[in-house]
Amino acid sequence: MIWRRLRERGVLGINARNASYTLRWNDRSRYPMVDDKLITKQLCEGSGIPVPKLLAVANHHFQLRGFADRLDAHESFVLKPVRGAMGNGIVVIVGRDGADFVRSDGRLFSRDEFRYHAAGIISGLYSLAGHADRAMVEERLEVHSDFARIATRGVPDVRVIVYRGVPVMAMTRLPTKASGGRANLHQGAVGAGIDLVTGRTTHAILRNVPVTANPDTGLSVQDVPIPEWDRVLEIAVRATDHTQLGYVGADVVVDETRGPVILELNARPGLAVQLANQIGLRLRLDAVDANAPQPGTTVEDRVALGLAIAGEEDGVAA
Amino acid sequence: MARSVAITGLLFVLFGAAIFGWKTAVYGLPLAPSDTRGLWQVELRISVRGQGRQGSVTALLPAVAPGQRVLDERSSSDRLRFSIRARDENRTGVWTGWLEDVHEIVYEFRVQTDPVEVTLPSVAGIEPPAALRNQWATPTPEFPSSTQEVRDLLEALRLPPPEDGINRVRTLFAFVTHEVATVETAGDDATLTLTQREGSETGKARLLVTLLRGSGIPARLVRGLELRARAEPVETVWTEAWVAGTWIPMSSVDGFFASRPAGLLSLGSADLEGVESTGARAVGYRYRSLRERLRPEEVALAMAPDHPALATLSLYNLPVGTQSALRSLLVLPLGALLVALLRNVVGIPTYGTFMPLLIAFALRGFPLSQGLALVTLVLTLGVTTRLALERLRLLMVPRLSILLCVVILVVTALAIVGDQLGNRDLFAGIVFPIVILTMLVERFSIAIAEEGLREALLLAGWSLGVAVACYPVLRSPLAEHLMFTFPELVVALVGVLVWIGGYTGYRVSDLLRFRSLANEPAGVIPR
Repeated sequence: MIWRRLRERGVLGINARNASYTLRWNDRSRYPMVDDKLITKQLCEGSGIPVPKLLAVANHHFQLRGFADRLDAHESFVLKPVRGAMGNGIVVIVGRDGADFVRSDGRLFSRDEFRYHAAGIISGLYSLAGHADRAMVEERLEVHSDFARIATRGVPDVRVIVYRGVPVMAMTRLPTKASGGRANLHQGAVGAGIDLVTGRTTHAILRNVPVTANPDTGLSVQDVPIPEWDRVLEIAVRATDHTQLGYVGADVVVDETRGPVILELNARPGLAVQLANQIGLRLRLDAVDANAPQPGTTVEDRVALGLAIAGEEDGVAA
Repeated sequence: MARSVAITGLLFVLFGAAIFGWKTAVYGLPLAPSDTRGLWQVELRISVRGQGRQGSVTALLPAVAPGQRVLDERSSSDRLRFSIRARDENRTGVWTGWLEDVHEIVYEFRVQTDPVEVTLPSVAGIEPPAALRNQWATPTPEFPSSTQEVRDLLEALRLPPPEDGINRVRTLFAFVTHEVATVETAGDDATLTLTQREGSETGKARLLVTLLRGSGIPARLVRGLELRARAEPVETVWTEAWVAGTWIPMSSVDGFFASRPAGLLSLGSADLEGVESTGARAVGYRYRSLRERLRPEEVALAMAPDHPALATLSLYNLPVGTQSALRSLLVLPLGALLVALLRNVVGIPTYGTFMPLLIAFALRGFPLSQGLALVTLVLTLGVTTRLALERLRLLMVPRLSILLCVVILVVTALAIVGDQLGNRDLFAGIVFPIVILTMLVERFSIAIAEEGLREALLLAGWSLGVAVACYPVLRSPLAEHLMFTFPELVVALVGVLVWIGGYTGYRVSDLLRFRSLANEPAGVIPR
């Protein structure tokens, strides 16, 4: 029976994730810490965790007059909703063509369109519950050259699941042509599991089905090292520490010049990470519960605990 | 599932189920919707031609008998005085006065008849009381139970002993059923029917009474009406035998024993013809019957448990308009339960939590295909408008308001088209979900832009699928009856929802999504 096999392999289902992890460990009142990207940004900046630089914010419709003009100093940038969900409503501008902007997929984006899109964001079109929102503009991160080998489009990121301050599983999400350059698995981005110990990719999936190569390039996405892996884990754990949430997905982008940068945090991280790693989350979460770190345990110790748990399990699996 | 969740859910379920069980087991509230048409409007029209002198007309009225309930009766007596005489179970209507020319008497009543099943007495040999025996077990000219022919036959039949009353009755019933032919034109006389081995319905019924009395069992002839849906009622007779405290109805012609069919109305066992007159030159009469629905207050009376508190809480006492609104509302928790199951146990994604349920609710008045066509039409036109508006770059709230107007215009157009086509229902039910449809249009449009047409259609398909699943539940008369008669079931449903809420096992969708993980671990990449 599939049911029993999945249980044995420690696969976490949606109901169990909601009841035993997000509902149990993530206090509702702390959600704004991660749902509101400006708060996340302030929180991280305050403790020296690198985040993308904030270029502009529009809280109200009237502030949109001349909003685009204020960005003339920047060649490229990213327009996104402050409380967006699943990467919806994000527009990446990579350059100019006369007065118009150029989007990451090469399409032109007029100033009118820019303003209309920002107005949609403020009206709450892309926000979590449809509430009024704010539009923010950030610097565009430069994809680390080591990633360029396996991802040719968009900005690949690393999703680290941090449970009770311990990193338990990670994957990298590689945008594809099909995903429209977005690092969104259900839109067709490739997800590649990462061995926590070695920092190298293992298995990969495309739309829940195992693959070995990037469909755009045909190049293998397996056994690829993630640049500055130790630092990725470190800032993921440190960022989640400030949220006081117990079950978080930290999205880290490795920038060519700045190194690992926290892009955003997620209080309801998806379960596809299990498919990308071909490993169930449950056993690792249980192992963390069994060795629950005391308050005040250093980030280094907790990362070491996560690696030990992951390493031990991999040993068993092999 | 956590213990606390299991217990909390159980408490709710037990609470709801206990009241439900109490109302059904103790007060016998019906589990299935009662046929409110199990009701007849019966009219007896009597024409009397008088001869200029004092006189009277008597007619048998519906008796007090199990399985029949007279709801109201009235008479227009045309210059005569009307009174009702009641004796034992029998009721007789009497019209008296100066009979001259033609009097048209109309007596109308409404009656509810249910089929009757008599439990046969298990205790044998309870002696009939003397009074009962004197009245119903003695020979009369109509039932000559002491004649030689009767005695010879009873001898020959070798009846079971007197203590085994019920089997004596069975033997005699079998004899009259199988050994005596039913001939419509044959006589009504008991002795003749016996000697000739053939008789009319009345003849056979009289013979059975005679034989029963001859063997010491109290028995009587019952007159009644066989009510029929599309024809006039037929006067009929049957036999009742008294065994150990119970009158057992039976008819060797209509073929029932210890039961009485639903359409049979008892007019009692009085020693009278259906309609008789004195002092009149001529009298004629006819019955007419019509099926009828119960009036709300009668339903309320029928559905009120015989307990003051429960009767007060019965929703059937509410004004009719409130009742029909509540009937629709109280089915919704069942739909919500289904949605919870489909979403949290099966794992079907939908637009909005309850949007499918509300769509199903809106469509419940339509045939399914028509309803889905309506939604699809409104959605298509709405999304087209939305795409057209995109060029104008309007802000969200005014844009949504425009969509609302478009949806309303489409619905208005449907009303006109429906009227032209002679289908006035086409629009009646769609009024309610306009706001929902508007939001559906907006979310669908955004999903097209964000996720692509394929994903958007997939999600819309799932949503409609859940709506289709809810649709029969919301339309089920049984569900409506149960939830309205037993609103405590909502509490029980809350309990089940608590259980579903505490279900942390895999969803069916998890099993599908992670099925590759159920296989042997894929080759581990070497370090």
